[in-house]
Amino acid sequence: MGLVQRVLEASGIPTVALSLIPDLTRAVGVPRLAGISYPFGQPLGKPHDLDGQRAVLRAMLEVLASASGPDTYVELPFTWPESPAQARNASKDLPPAPIVELLRRKPWLLPALYSGRIPKAER
Amino acid sequence: MALDSYRFLDFASRQIMKAWAARREPGVIPFTPLAKPLDECTVALLSTAGVARNDDRPFDQEGERRNPWWGDPSFRMIALGTTEEDVRLYHMHIDPRFGESDLDVVLPMRRLTELARAGVVGAPAPTHYSIMGYILEPTELVETTAPALAEHMHAERVDAAALVPA
Repeated sequence: MGLVQRVLEASGIPTVALSLIPDLTRAVGVPRLAGISYPFGQPLGKPHDLDGQRAVLRAMLEVLASASGPDTYVELPFTWPESPAQARNASKDLPPAPIVELLRRKPWLLPALYSGRIPKAER
Repeated sequence: MALDSYRFLDFASRQIMKAWAARREPGVIPFTPLAKPLDECTVALLSTAGVARNDDRPFDQEGERRNPWWGDPSFRMIALGTTEEDVRLYHMHIDPRFGESDLDVVLPMRRLTELARAGVVGAPAPTHYSIMGYILEPTELVETTAPALAEHMHAERVDAAALVPA
């Protein structure tokens, strides 16, 4: 997401990103970033929590207006009502992503994922 | 940084993402100042949840199943007014059910419209966008998809973009 943000910004469109992993997004180098400690799949908040979603969107848009230079980073003060274990449990009936399944079968491929030296194709 | 970026990740994903973050070099970071006050800006949203309208081409899940190192680097346009009734989420690394029960969880077009009505922003753009966030090899994303997104936004006179992760 950070790489796309950089291209949009460089094309002349001011951008702000929300991030669930701000440490990683910030390392990419982005103009404006709002970090939030929410679980994957629910970046704006819980389904049908209109007030919560609106507050998150508003807070991230305020970073657009307040930033005076690149690498602006704001941690949003919202807290998720469940523990990480509870959040993961809610989705444990889903099938694993293809890469997860592949690495379970061929764990020796894991260093490629760590290093970012991505094979052309492997299964 | 007080916020724990890795709080909701399992152990393996945490280690991988920390390794990625440690290897990154930000370089020169672009910056375009807002050209007008936020309450006059037309704002477009971009979700990385792999949202596609049911009358549009799905993101290529079969391609990712054939080669798990690959993710579909294309983008989809999502017209303002599109709801969870009209879409599916094709990102296989997140639980799609949250966004499919309430699209604003990942692409908050209704919340943006409300903020425009409240005078916080000028207006929602007529078109919003989605990519699918699992892209390990970003060449096509950066060289083809991102410039195309920029071109569409410029064509609709978008003043600012808000990017939402998944």
